Amino acid sequence: MLLYRTDDWYNRLSHEELQKLMGQNKAWIEGLTAQGKVKPGRALERSGAIVSGKNGRFITDGPFAESKEAIGGYLVLDVETIDEAIAIAQSSPGLAYGGSIEVRPVAEECPLDVRARELAREEQLAMV
Amino acid sequence: MLLFRGNDWYKSLSPEETQKVTDQWMAWFKRLTDQGKAVAGNPLEREGKIVSGKNRVVSDGPFAESKEAIGGYFLLDVGSLDEAVAIAQECPGLPFGAIVEVRPVAGECPLASELKREAEFATV
Repeated sequence: MLLYRTDDWYNRLSHEELQKLMGQNKAWIEGLTAQGKVKPGRALERSGAIVSGKNGRFITDGPFAESKEAIGGYLVLDVETIDEAIAIAQSSPGLAYGGSIEVRPVAEECPLDVRARELAREEQLAMV
Repeated sequence: MLLFRGNDWYKSLSPEETQKVTDQWMAWFKRLTDQGKAVAGNPLEREGKIVSGKNRVVSDGPFAESKEAIGGYFLLDVGSLDEAVAIAQECPGLPFGAIVEVRPVAGECPLASELKREAEFATV
């Protein structure tokens, strides 16, 4: 999965730059789609909410305050290796202007489940 | 879209608590899927890479243990932000420190909206 980290770098681009980039982006996505390497991705609105605390009692305006950590959109890839996903991320037209892309393998198994198993094993060992 | 933030909150849980939260989380996703309110969702591996800048430099990331790191996501199909927030409030990880970010999926790419705004200004 590719997560687009953004600090709204595109606000600094001129009209021509923006238009050029959008054309490049469209061609890039179409190319990946034609190769069957990408599933539909979406951009996210710049607004949102953050829910936290027991039973979700705290609701604040989001996205997450730290702008470098803010996610602007995502793409789910259909590739075999992280290296292939990294190569695709590197070919993203937007990178030339700023921002960054986080490349994350989709987990085969829920990490919580893995952790529960680890803990169970530790307990068993402790009993021996 | 719900983005689950934080990838260290569950480290302090007991085995029983961990198992319980895991089961609750799976049941929650299954119920939302059955109701047609969740259309996709995945946990993400804890390790990944960050690609950035003109030179397309690859570095390790996200930071191994961070409150901001994204641990997984649900893509919802609901009518309003309020409904999505109400679903986020049911997240079984919340009592233990998980944070859920709720974000509307954009009808159009923000780059395109920006371009349109600029075009409007230009014609005034």
